[in-house]
Amino acid sequence: MLSASWACEPTKRKAQGVSAMEKQKLLSVGFRVWKKAFSPYWYFIPLFVVVGALMVYPLADGIRLSFWSKNLMYPGKDKFVGFANYYKLLFEDKLFWPALRNSIIFTAASVLFEYLLGLGSALLLNSKHVVRCKNLLRGIVLLPWVVPIAVNSLNWRWMLLPDYGFVNQLLRISGLGSIARGWLSDLRWVFPTVVLVNVWRSFPFYTVTILAGLTLIPRELYEAAHIDGANRWQVFRYITFPGIKGVSTVIVVLHIVWTFVNFDVIYLLTGGGPLHRTEVLPTYLYQQAFNYFKVSYASSIGTFIFLFLIITVGFYFSKFSSFYVER
Amino acid sequence: MRKESILLSLLWVFLLSLVFSIVHAQEITLQVWDVFDPATSKDAVEREKLLRKFEEENPGIKIQHNILTYSDLHEKLVVAGVAGSGPDVVHMLGEWVPEFVLMGIVEDVTERVNAWNEKQFFPDSTWKVATYKDRIYGIPSIASPRVLLYREDYLKKAGFDRPPDTWDELKTVAQKVTGVVEGVYGFGFCSSSNAIRGPQEFLPLLWQTGAEWVVEKDGKWVPGFTVTQAEEVFALYNDLMNTLKACPPGSIGWEWQELDNAFTMGRIAMCYNGSWMQLHEEEAGESFKYWKGTRMPANKNRTTYFEVKVEGIGKFSKYKDEAWKFLAWILGKDQMALHTRHDNLPARTDVISLPEFQEDEWKKPFFAVIPDGKSFPPIPMSESNKAMMRELQAVLYQQKTPAEAAESLLATLQEILETINE
Repeated sequence: MLSASWACEPTKRKAQGVSAMEKQKLLSVGFRVWKKAFSPYWYFIPLFVVVGALMVYPLADGIRLSFWSKNLMYPGKDKFVGFANYYKLLFEDKLFWPALRNSIIFTAASVLFEYLLGLGSALLLNSKHVVRCKNLLRGIVLLPWVVPIAVNSLNWRWMLLPDYGFVNQLLRISGLGSIARGWLSDLRWVFPTVVLVNVWRSFPFYTVTILAGLTLIPRELYEAAHIDGANRWQVFRYITFPGIKGVSTVIVVLHIVWTFVNFDVIYLLTGGGPLHRTEVLPTYLYQQAFNYFKVSYASSIGTFIFLFLIITVGFYFSKFSSFYVER
Repeated sequence: MRKESILLSLLWVFLLSLVFSIVHAQEITLQVWDVFDPATSKDAVEREKLLRKFEEENPGIKIQHNILTYSDLHEKLVVAGVAGSGPDVVHMLGEWVPEFVLMGIVEDVTERVNAWNEKQFFPDSTWKVATYKDRIYGIPSIASPRVLLYREDYLKKAGFDRPPDTWDELKTVAQKVTGVVEGVYGFGFCSSSNAIRGPQEFLPLLWQTGAEWVVEKDGKWVPGFTVTQAEEVFALYNDLMNTLKACPPGSIGWEWQELDNAFTMGRIAMCYNGSWMQLHEEEAGESFKYWKGTRMPANKNRTTYFEVKVEGIGKFSKYKDEAWKFLAWILGKDQMALHTRHDNLPARTDVISLPEFQEDEWKKPFFAVIPDGKSFPPIPMSESNKAMMRELQAVLYQQKTPAEAAESLLATLQEILETINE
């Protein structure tokens, strides 16, 4: 370790006049100190390069592009337009606000039901009443999540066909033919159906994560609660739920982000239709970029999504942090 | 001794890799991006064999065959093109040509085509699709017009000896056939928001009213139809779906998969469709013998959609000469006769006139309607296709009257054309 007095020594010596050899020695020592102090940071360089190239640069370039007018079909006609894209998006575009509303409802409904379903199934699988085939059941619950999104969505699309889709056939066989309908073409039902498919696909992730959180809660707490005569609700309210609160926050935040930017499920099921009833911001962005080639306008939608998520997630975390402080 | 043997081994490795790299340096690989999947089409199986044959005949050229769906192909071409890369040989839908030319993704092959002594075997109508502003950007490969595909047995059961010949007859037959067999509807069509097949069905109906989608006036594109003409088309759809209830409930928003499957499974008696439906012969089983094609029911005329697919050279290809050599070969007479024999239709007249094509009962009605065929206009169509389907859905869901939808479509098209004209 270098002491503070040693660090001051070169200045004193310089004042006294030092030889060239001593100077070199001092420089070499200084280099070693510098090297030692900064050496950990060298190891970050590959990380910075990768993150910079794959995340920071595209993000920054996307934001830059949102201030330009650029259509891929008309190369060479790019021009700087300032906030014009944002103005158009917020004040002139008739489809933006419905798409934003759909995104918020889709995210809120999906995350809420995924969490409830995930929590319920995790509690069930963790229950002492389910003794047999526990691992098998856990594997089965995970199935919807391990099936690729594209396969999953296309399967649902076929199962939901009005005439010969599996869902309607099943309803007819069960004597519930009167509620059979075109689930993806009925204007009232298409949105709930898309949410349902998304919930079905994503809830196993909650199950597995919450299940992992449940196993970390000490058994003694439950034994103590039992001795104290706590009922099931009290056990859940004061032991189980606080025990999985940390895990829950993380998965809820992750899923708010993932669901808000989710593109595949809706695009493959409905393409944002019919009549934009399931249009969300990612499908709208895709349409602008890849159907109309208006990449700068698409970038302004992307930047909006980015800012919206930062604010939403920041708000969520600030609320959660205050909860911990209170506790 | 041991050191010497290690050194000797290293020297051998070095020499071998040098020889390998020299040999490899002389071999080039052509990246071919298309949609021909041997797992789903007999024609694609033939095409795959031809790719290998080309490699055998041209030892210095390897073919890297990348199979994609049309939507993926479109997306990947745009992304790669913007990044300054892409395939050497690319398969395109005819309506993509103007977009890709404007983006600078496909190579101008006008001089190569004009110097090619086989140009004469392709009809002008097919070259028109491969052309943008008098320059040619590829060779036509598949030229497939649409017909009215119908189930002869269903129509007979409903008392019709022949298919409908006019719009009015179409409505009458569709209504009468509906329910003639339990669960069967008279007509089916596409109206998906994805706007892939839907516009290919909508535009011919508009053309049949005597209208155009767009026309060029004083060097600018303007809408080629009136509100009344568009209203007539929307009214036809509305009658079939809502008034006569001749289409399956819940079929609003169908894309080509749903439509093709519904016809294959015998759920609909009539639809506008293409030669690829032959792919479903096995699934259809016995009922396939009742599948018949005929020309489009007429309004003022019986124009049908003439889908021409084009194979071009990627703008950023390093091997343009080799890519052209490949294109000229694979779209030569003998090769085309092999890879369009089953579910596709050839663009070359000398292949169409071959006996095995002329005598093919399935292909006959398709060849017969070629004179009625018309392709999309040479402008970027993506945005207007979406608008077309949006208005159609609004009519089908009864959110707008046909007249309101027609007015709205005309106004939207005018806005889109303003950008294009700029």
